[in-house]
Amino acid sequence: MNTQSQTPELHDAPIDIARPSTLVREDANHFRVHTSAYTDKTIFDAEMRQIFSKVWVFVGHESEIPESGDFKTAYIGMQPVIVSRAEDGSINVLVNRCVHRGAVLCREARGNVTEFSCPYHGWIYGINGKLIAISERREAGGYDDDFDAPKGLFRVPKVDTYRGLIFASFNSDVVTLDEYLGPGKKLIDRKFGRSPEGKIAIRGKPFVMRYQGNWKFQAENIVDAYHFLHTHKGFVSLQAKYGDSTGDFGLHKGKSAKAMRQLRFKGASWSLPRGHAQIENPMADTDTLLNGEFADYYRALLERDGEEEFASVVGKMTGTLFPNLGIIHQQLRTWRPIAPDLTEVTIYLYDLVGAPDAINDGMMGSQERFYGPAGHGMVDDVDIFARNQQGLAGSAVDWLILERGLKTDERLATGEYRGLPASEAPQRALWREWQSLMNQA
Amino acid sequence: MNSSTESRGIMTREQAEATLILEARLLDTRRLDEWLTMFTDDGIYWVPLDDEAPPGSVAAIVHDTPLRREERVYHLLHDDYPAQSPPSRTVHFVSNVEVVSEDEGYLVRSNQIIYEMRTGDYSQVGIGEIRPIVAQVEHKFQPVENEFLISRKKVLLINRDGWLGNMTFLL
Repeated sequence: MNTQSQTPELHDAPIDIARPSTLVREDANHFRVHTSAYTDKTIFDAEMRQIFSKVWVFVGHESEIPESGDFKTAYIGMQPVIVSRAEDGSINVLVNRCVHRGAVLCREARGNVTEFSCPYHGWIYGINGKLIAISERREAGGYDDDFDAPKGLFRVPKVDTYRGLIFASFNSDVVTLDEYLGPGKKLIDRKFGRSPEGKIAIRGKPFVMRYQGNWKFQAENIVDAYHFLHTHKGFVSLQAKYGDSTGDFGLHKGKSAKAMRQLRFKGASWSLPRGHAQIENPMADTDTLLNGEFADYYRALLERDGEEEFASVVGKMTGTLFPNLGIIHQQLRTWRPIAPDLTEVTIYLYDLVGAPDAINDGMMGSQERFYGPAGHGMVDDVDIFARNQQGLAGSAVDWLILERGLKTDERLATGEYRGLPASEAPQRALWREWQSLMNQA
Repeated sequence: MNSSTESRGIMTREQAEATLILEARLLDTRRLDEWLTMFTDDGIYWVPLDDEAPPGSVAAIVHDTPLRREERVYHLLHDDYPAQSPPSRTVHFVSNVEVVSEDEGYLVRSNQIIYEMRTGDYSQVGIGEIRPIVAQVEHKFQPVENEFLISRKKVLLINRDGWLGNMTFLL
């Protein structure tokens, strides 16, 4: 029994690692997650089976592999995959393992090839994964005519794209990507809608960091409006001193913590179905944009979208598409679980195709200043994630508290919850879906 | 030796090495305001992710113009933030110094190993662990009045295309 709990009825019900749904508790006053959901290896392994092998997982963007023969490597949970562009333009997601004796085929993170060949025994596969040749196949001691040869590399059965974002699923029975993304598509539409052509292109090489903490800390944090003024207090003070002079490009407005809070605690937060989440704050006064330096660009977007949608497109919007994609500012962020206490985060900056160069350059410079491994923001988050994991060693405190704004969340008929701006509604989206998927043993 | 070289002086390998050792001392003892004065007025401090792309054309780990460099130093010395609370200690080792004469001044190449650790409760993850950072470093020096100042410092990490940990200290 947890004698220090004010809510014994919530805490005393036994948890059961074999039934992970017991690790999330929700009632009218509480939303709590058990420590072991972040720390336990059995739970982590179950997440790989029941989440990462069951749903659509983000593996890349089409602009990373524009030409035939282009490839990049990625992971679906713990499984290494190659994402390649075949001669016919199709995108293939292939398990990065020779089907003969298991060697990894591709050792480069990205590149262009005409075929994949295994260095161990020389089996050769096409860019689409099809087995082309088995070395010394018919020589003495080779394979018989009735050899049950595999067709090629293991193809991840479901691959689809939405506005250039590539998703894949090991689950042949998964719902369509369109249905899976659901209202989360709006986030993508609006973020990419800042391009006059509705398209983005990845720019340069990504920032890659690792931290000694659970993957869900990153998934929760990117849609956490609450932490900014605290975790990034030092940055807020830096920003008050330097403002736009060092290339912030208007990303962090407000000359003081108070002004920044007033600006940040506006809009709404969302817990969407299937674990997707977002925070949004449509722009209240768009006149400065429409009469400013980039007036032509903004006026064309206004013409295309109409006033209301325009305010959302140019406003603030950040979101996650469960389980492993975040979109914030002009970046795609993906996180890869490696162990319960080890996660890799990759940040791809992107350009808005057709937008003024000065906007794309400005956004790149601003995000470079905040998000890189030597930047003034992201590393603070990553440091906190590791600090969280370290803190969880104090397992006498058994539950984490995620009920900020619970009572003010408004449940819509569509199954969405609309919360106040700094509500933990977005974090609850993740945990509701987590509980549901982990329960489907 | 032409007349312009004569007027601006010559940078010998010994001088170059002494300058890099001085820079290392300023960085390792957190005399960072003094470090700022080692650069020209338009000096760049650059730690590329992709050194084949021109500086500023794609995102870098660090791409500091003078004001950004000043901001970085101000942040390290005056603000309290998780990535540097507790702060890093560093020790720079400088070796393989070469001096190449250029039109505008001198290019000084060095190999550097920077050992870094976070101070604090060493029983905790990430604290008290000594991390080696290995880099090929290029300083471009320009003569300004009676001294050589850094017009560009480029730090090419050998693991720039892999994952990186907390790099919120000066290289």
